[in-house]
Parts: sequence; C-alpha cells; structure tokens
Amino acid sequence: MSHISREFVKILLQKRTYFGWAGLFLVPFLITVAMRLSSGGPPDPEQGGPQFFNFIESNGLYVAVASLFALVTFLLPLLASMSGSQTIAGEAENGTLRTVLMQPVRRGSVLLAKWMVANLYIAIGLVILAVGSLIAGGAIYGLKPMILLSGQAVGVGESIWLIFLAYLFVLVGMAAVVSLAMAFSTLTNSGLTAVAAALVLVIIMLILGSLSVFDFLRPYLFTTHFDAWMNFFRQPVVWAPIRDALINFAVWSVGMTGIAWLIFRRKDILS
Amino acid sequence: MHSETQPSASLSPPLDSCSDQTVVLSTHGLTKDFKKLRAVDRLDLSVCRGDVFGFLGPNGAGKTTTIRLIFGLTYPTSGYVQILDHLVPHDRQEALRHVGGFVDDPIFYGNMTARRNLRMFGRMNGEVPEERITQVLDMVGLSERGQSKVGSYSHGMRQRLGIALALIHRPELVILDEPTSGLDPQGMKDVRELVRELGRQGTTVFLSSHLLHEVELVCNRAAIMRKGRVVAQGPVSQLHPASNAVKVLTGDQKRAREVLGRLVAPSAVREDEEYLVVEAGEDLVPEMVRRLVADQVDVLAVVPAIEQGLEDMFLELTAREAEGERA
Repeated sequence: MSHISREFVKILLQKRTYFGWAGLFLVPFLITVAMRLSSGGPPDPEQGGPQFFNFIESNGLYVAVASLFALVTFLLPLLASMSGSQTIAGEAENGTLRTVLMQPVRRGSVLLAKWMVANLYIAIGLVILAVGSLIAGGAIYGLKPMILLSGQAVGVGESIWLIFLAYLFVLVGMAAVVSLAMAFSTLTNSGLTAVAAALVLVIIMLILGSLSVFDFLRPYLFTTHFDAWMNFFRQPVVWAPIRDALINFAVWSVGMTGIAWLIFRRKDILS
Repeated sequence: MHSETQPSASLSPPLDSCSDQTVVLSTHGLTKDFKKLRAVDRLDLSVCRGDVFGFLGPNGAGKTTTIRLIFGLTYPTSGYVQILDHLVPHDRQEALRHVGGFVDDPIFYGNMTARRNLRMFGRMNGEVPEERITQVLDMVGLSERGQSKVGSYSHGMRQRLGIALALIHRPELVILDEPTSGLDPQGMKDVRELVRELGRQGTTVFLSSHLLHEVELVCNRAAIMRKGRVVAQGPVSQLHPASNAVKVLTGDQKRAREVLGRLVAPSAVREDEEYLVVEAGEDLVPEMVRRLVADQVDVLAVVPAIEQGLEDMFLELTAREAEGERA
C-alpha cells in the first residue's frame, strides 16, 4: 500500500471529509434556489455584483461559474487550509504521527503523500461543486450555449471545457493555500492552530490586496490571482494574467512545501 | 570504600560486552538537550542478540526520550544509535526495518478497526498477509476484537494492539515502553509470558519499565537510568551485588550512626527500618563493635545484610546519585 493510497483511505474514513464535500455540493443548489426565489433579481454589476450572477437565469451553466466565484475567496481557502493543516499537525495532535514515523518510512515521502492527498481532497471537492452546479443549473435553467465576458457565444461542449479549465486553475491556486497550511502544520502540534494561522494569512493577503497603499505587494500575493480564471471566458483567452497567476501559485506551492520539508525532516516528534 | 561499592562503576560493562554475541542495539555518547534541560546525557548502552533487556528509571529519567532517539523520532544533540549495522538517525529507514515497538502509549486511528490499523501500519514494513494479522492478534488476545474500531478499545487493549503491531513484521529487536501499563493482572502476566517467549525464540527485547520486579521476572540484563545517565547496567543477576554490608541494631541508633560514620564514611551508613546498614566488610565488624561499646552504645545485633532485590538496588543507586549531586 503506497503512502498516497494509505493517506487517501484515511481521509475517506473521516466524517469531516464528507461535511466539506457535502457543503460544496449544496452551494450551487442554494445559489440556484436563491436566484429563483429572489424578487430583486441578480446582483447589479454596477453595484459590484459579479457579472456571472446576472446570467444564471438565462443558462444553468453559469451556476458552475457563479459558484466558483462565490467560493474562491473564502470557503475553498478554508477547506484547503483545513486539508493542509491536518497533514502533520492533525496527526501530531492525535499522536498517530509517531506511530507512522516509527515505521521504516522516509519523512519526505510521507510529507509529499500528505500534500498530494490534501490536494486530491480539494480536487474531488471541486468536481463535486462542478457536478452539483451542472445538476442544479441544468435542472432549473437548462444547459445552453454560454455568452462569454467578451460577448461571443460558445457551444455547451466548449463552455464545459472552459469551466473545467477554470476549476483546474482554482485547484492550482488552492494548492498554494494547502502548501501554506502544511508549512504551518509542521510548526505546531495543533491542527486548529495551523488552520487559524493559514486562514489569517489568507485574510491578511486579501486585505492587503484591497488597499491601494499596498499595491506594490499585489503581484506577489496569491490571493490577488484567485480570480484570474475569468480570463478563460474571453475570446481570445487572455493568457498573461493566467500565466502570471500560475507562476505565482507554483512559487508559493513549491516554496511553502519546501519550507515544510525543511522543518519536518528534522522535527522532533514529541507528541 | 565508598567508591568500591559503587555498582555503577563495577557493573557498567564496556560496549563490546556481548562477547561473541551480536550487538543488536547500542548507543554511543547519546545526548539530547531540550533547550537548557539535558534529558539524555552521554548514554552508552549495549543490547546483545537474544537479550531481554530491562530499561529502568524513575519518571523523568530520560527513558522515553532515549526510546524516541532510538526510533529516530527525535534527533540527538550529539552521539548516535546503532541498530545492527545501521546508524540512527543517518540510516534510520533501514534501521527501523529490524525494529518493532512503541513509545509512550501506542496510538492508532480510532475510527478504524484493529485489523485495518495493523494492515495499514504493518504494510509500511512490506507485505503483511492477513494470516499474520490474525496470528499477532491471537498472540495478544485480541482475535475476538479484531473487527472492532480501536476508538472503542480500553487503554489495556491498545497496549496489546501496540505489541501486535510491534511483532507484525517479525523484527529482530522489539522495543516496548511500559508494555504492561494499564493491563489487569492477567494481562500483565500474559504480556510478561509473551516477552519471555520472544526471548526464548531469540528475539531481542528492550523493555522499559518502572515495575522493577517485572524486570527481575523477565529480563536477563538491565540498565538503570537516572537524570539522563545510566547509573548501572549489566546482567540482572549481577545487579544484585554480593552484599558487602552488615546490619547493626543498637540501643541508640542515632548515636551509633555518628560513631560508625566516623569509622567508615557517613554516606556508607544508612537506615533500613530499625537497622543501620553499614557498607563494610565483615573484617570491620570487631572494630565497629569495639567503637560502639567504647562510646557506650549497646550493641544488640550485627547481621550480614541480606542480598538486595533490584528494587533496593534501584532506590539505593538513585539515592546515591542524588546524594552525590547534593554534595
């Protein structure tokens, strides 16, 4: 049994895994029902409301996009933080980390497997979110060709492809959050502390990114790039912000995972 | 005289004391500091193939820290551990292929069954057939509860499961940290019998325990640790030193202690219930009696001190260390 399959079995046997996934499945239904029941109509883009919400009532495919938009700044980073923080700190808190490390395993392999499974958890969550969105949107509004942000219409097949790319992009973004949480996870024996530390940092990044005085920091904050996936919904696709975002996510992911490894490889397991 | 009776000096064997036997586990100048606290201090131990080695010490002596260092869970400040030909921490992964055991309380995934836990952890050592899982569960008396979630287990059952995991890949060295802790008397007896049986089969066992009689019952060699240092190690039979002491009962024990303290050394005289135990050979007895009588102390009895049990030995050694530190 490889480390990855063992880690995956572990998360499959935890109830909290299903709470997270159930929440992601329900969100598109809530958005769809809310839009259906809303007497005031969708949020007004002029007042800062997301543009995708305006299109939901015309096409169920927009539910997938609106759900992503709604979750990318908080619920998904929360789940990514939780997933990343459980890797080391959660196990240390339970005491099972020492049982694992008393076996002939390499710490680096254990850490890498945990990182991959933490991201797999988010990937499955995103698949559930997408499927839930297509079911909810399709059932109530039907699935029709999408009108892109640049005004062109694309068929249902291509729309689903673009949605897939957007979700994949967000998964890469969440890998940065998972890596950050995992780095914190190696510094503490409390899963809650690691979650809180990672979330606080994400929130600080969001605040810094919204204050013009810190504009010089924006390119370096991964939170700045979370919404770059919207560039997939233009024709032609605007690749520059997507490329910049992916580079940023990769640097954060590799950097934070590297820091986690440097700490974990020499960490005294006292729990 | 005092120094002549220090078992730590006379009983601590050199590292090659296994003579023609293989040294399965040894520590070399092993030291671990936690900030300003030195938990393990230049520890030199050697455990020979087939030994059932007792590792004794009071709480806080550094036993568990030593076991963590052996498993590579913590990194030494200096020194190293050697398991067969493998050095820990450098070659930890290969070293641990030969070791099974647990430190502190064995911890498992509470939401999984015992079988799944054994399968999951056991396979980190290579393939584990289901029959082997059944076999080790049976060995520790958990075959009936193999399909129960570990979260429903009592402390004693988790101890047993810890032993089952320790044995699952048939390691050459089994390290057990307080294995009978939390077990009922029958459970303790079963575990001790299991340890003895492992020893009979040639498995080397390193048994940490605060139950001194347990070490006497099951171990052939032992080390006594205090404040991170080994104060004695050697065959358990030799940890009962041939007593060079006599017990003295007088009409005025307080006065007698002063008189005898001047003859030998104050630290060589201690109280043991109503007697004074004097670390002195029988050749000194006539002089002891003459001095006591000269000081008008009635001598009621002088008898050889009976051979010490390991418990006495342990208390004496740790008390001596403490006295030495105070001095």
